[in-house]
Amino acid sequence: MKFIRTVFHALIILTVVLALVEVATAGNYPSKPITIVVPYAPGGGGDAFTRAIALQAQEILGAKIFVENRMGGGATIGVGTVARARADGYTLGFVSSSPVVAAPNFFNVPYDPAKDLTYLSRFIISAAPVLVRGDSKFQSFRDLIVYAKANPGKLLWSTAGINGAPHIATEAAFTQEGIKSAFLPMQGSTEVLAALLGGTIAMGVMSDYAGPLAAGDVRALADIGSERVPDLAEIPTYREMGYALTPTIFFGLAGPAGLPAEVISTWDHTMRTITASAAFIEVAKRLNGNVAYLDHKAFQAMVLDEIGTMRETLQSLEVPK
Amino acid sequence: MEAILEGISLSLSASALTGIMVGIILGQLLGSIPGLTAAMAVALLVPFSFYFDPWVGIPMMLAMFKGSLFGSSMPAILLRTPGTPAAAATVIDGNPLAKSGKGGKAMHTVLYASVFGDAFSDICLILGAGMLASIAIRFGPSEYVVLILFALMSLVSLNHGSSWKGIISILLGMLISCIGLDPITGTERLTFGNLELFEGIGLIPMLIGFLAISEVFSQLEQPIRNLGEKAITFSKRREDNRLSGTERRALLPTLLRSSAIGTVTGALPGLGSTVAAFIAYNEARRTAKNPKEFGHGSLHGIAAPEAANNAVSGANLIPLLAFGIPGDVAAALILGALLIQGIVPGPLAFRDNPVPIYAIFSAMLLANIVNYVIGLGFIPLAKKMVSVPKRLLFPAVLVFASAGAYAMRGSLFDVQLMFGFGVMGWLMSKFQFPTVLLVIGFILAPILERSARQTLIIVSASDGWFAFVTSRPVLMILLAILAILTVIIIRQRMVMSRYVSAQ
Repeated sequence: MKFIRTVFHALIILTVVLALVEVATAGNYPSKPITIVVPYAPGGGGDAFTRAIALQAQEILGAKIFVENRMGGGATIGVGTVARARADGYTLGFVSSSPVVAAPNFFNVPYDPAKDLTYLSRFIISAAPVLVRGDSKFQSFRDLIVYAKANPGKLLWSTAGINGAPHIATEAAFTQEGIKSAFLPMQGSTEVLAALLGGTIAMGVMSDYAGPLAAGDVRALADIGSERVPDLAEIPTYREMGYALTPTIFFGLAGPAGLPAEVISTWDHTMRTITASAAFIEVAKRLNGNVAYLDHKAFQAMVLDEIGTMRETLQSLEVPK
Repeated sequence: MEAILEGISLSLSASALTGIMVGIILGQLLGSIPGLTAAMAVALLVPFSFYFDPWVGIPMMLAMFKGSLFGSSMPAILLRTPGTPAAAATVIDGNPLAKSGKGGKAMHTVLYASVFGDAFSDICLILGAGMLASIAIRFGPSEYVVLILFALMSLVSLNHGSSWKGIISILLGMLISCIGLDPITGTERLTFGNLELFEGIGLIPMLIGFLAISEVFSQLEQPIRNLGEKAITFSKRREDNRLSGTERRALLPTLLRSSAIGTVTGALPGLGSTVAAFIAYNEARRTAKNPKEFGHGSLHGIAAPEAANNAVSGANLIPLLAFGIPGDVAAALILGALLIQGIVPGPLAFRDNPVPIYAIFSAMLLANIVNYVIGLGFIPLAKKMVSVPKRLLFPAVLVFASAGAYAMRGSLFDVQLMFGFGVMGWLMSKFQFPTVLLVIGFILAPILERSARQTLIIVSASDGWFAFVTSRPVLMILLAILAILTVIIIRQRMVMSRYVSAQ
């Protein structure tokens, strides 16, 4: 009997000690390794940015950070993993506009982007310009519209992904103009660029443009976004031209809903430091992204706004899916 | 000229040579383990390439790809399990040859053909990137349809047994490839609401399941006393373990033709080394003096796909350097690494940054020599590895296969799929359904479907079929070649059947 009582007491003491440890460590996040889930394959832009951030954040936070690639489901499987994780700040994820703003309108995704995620910080925005061949007769976006109106169903164009932001925004713009065009579904910007340069399509809308644009192989006529980005400063945006849907292509960091305030403030501080660092700005420049930091409060508001606008515009315009 | 010399001297520096050696060794090892691909390792290296000089990091990555294409053929020959999908066509003749004790000869053929194909396409890249790319860019979806039809012709020639069983296998492979998102409408197809199936069935679990796991299951049926045997035995005769000078010379026409096929296919974005290997195999068989040998260990049948799949790796950089368009995953990763180095590929790169590019070219040629030398050392090692008794070898294959299927996407679902396909493959081979045909159907169908449906959209946006075809000279040439080849194959078959009935 005495033995059992001793064991029982020992257990109580152990529980109390463990609870105290828990309380003690609660005040100094992070106290163990953090995992950042990337919903894309290793080697892509999202992966490269996350790994660059992880390297710097490790130094600032003094904790190990693991980057885990969880691909599939058009990036929704990885985001779903983050949404379902414990809201303790030790499982975070890379998010981009596609799985959060665009995909939920077309598929059953395993999370509610407006409710199941805490948006921690935005660090990159990209332009997605409307491109034509360097020797194309189209000198402005207006030229394209005029041609498409005169030749219904003949303007052949494509984007890097079906139902991605560039596709939906441009389809919405055409619907607003009352244009019937021929959209050619393709997979990846490589295919679109080859088709554009080879003369199969007349217009492409996508974020990978730096090399061919610099070489003069393609010309940019408009950007689908709402604000001009530095390297395309002379190109008008869809918003300036009066189109309703002007999504921003963003890269950011998110966690499950209900993250503790301490985690949020830690990452606000960490990401502000990283995005202002010369090293990160250099990486961003080389990977063709524009550093555009937003803290938790501003990022959360921005994402919720984008989700709402996308849903409403798709309903009111009856954009062909 | 100065830039070229400076580039060559950079590629000969100690750090660059170390990078190439490490790349080749890692590539051959990773390639030889089914499920682990060089692409995965390179992908993880990309962010770190920031810290290397471009003439160290990028040749190392290229060397990994070159090494892995050779390495992946070792298990294809010895264990009927291609290390990467590119070696799937090598199974057809490599495995029978190894089973007859001439595994050494088969591996030397692979090494010879691989290095030949690599060197051929590297030289094409260096001398004619601009010209080849401007031709390649004229290939649109309609031209791809015809190219896939070329590859599909190989299915006709591959089929030795019952033809209806072959057709069922191909159709089954095509059906499995339909799982996932519809390539045109983006709606879900045959996924039953399962997100894991959303992006379709992965090629790696499919390939390992059908070819490796099914083989393990077949071995389970063997009586216990056989399990102490070796999985494969090697003939002791010297000429069965090497490639003689006469054989090397006899292979030259096949190698040249296959390397050219690989280079053209590689210059076209999105087709890939597996497709090139099958087209080259088919061409080798069609033009062979004794096509009957094919499928039973023909050296030409081994050399053709190997030269072609290696030629793809250098040629993939052609559209990358000419227009900034990566030809496949490997080239896309190289693109990422180049961008991190601040080199934007495209015509301007030669003007703005010529030295690193010439250094990379020179390093690629060096890598071919290193690949050959290290490959010579790898062959005896591979022989030793498969010389353990079956009861040890096959459980090890099972473990590696599971790890490989898991590692691809970090998904246990893929491991379950792999075992499911393993059972299916085992049942199929029990009833003499050719599993290799199922795999080819699976690989080719998505490109065929997508290109065909894209072509229909393009035609509907142009002024009718006739105007469309006549506006595309490349398409007209390809269609003419396809028509001629079809006639030739039908005539060959008729002559053959007359010959058979005369006997």
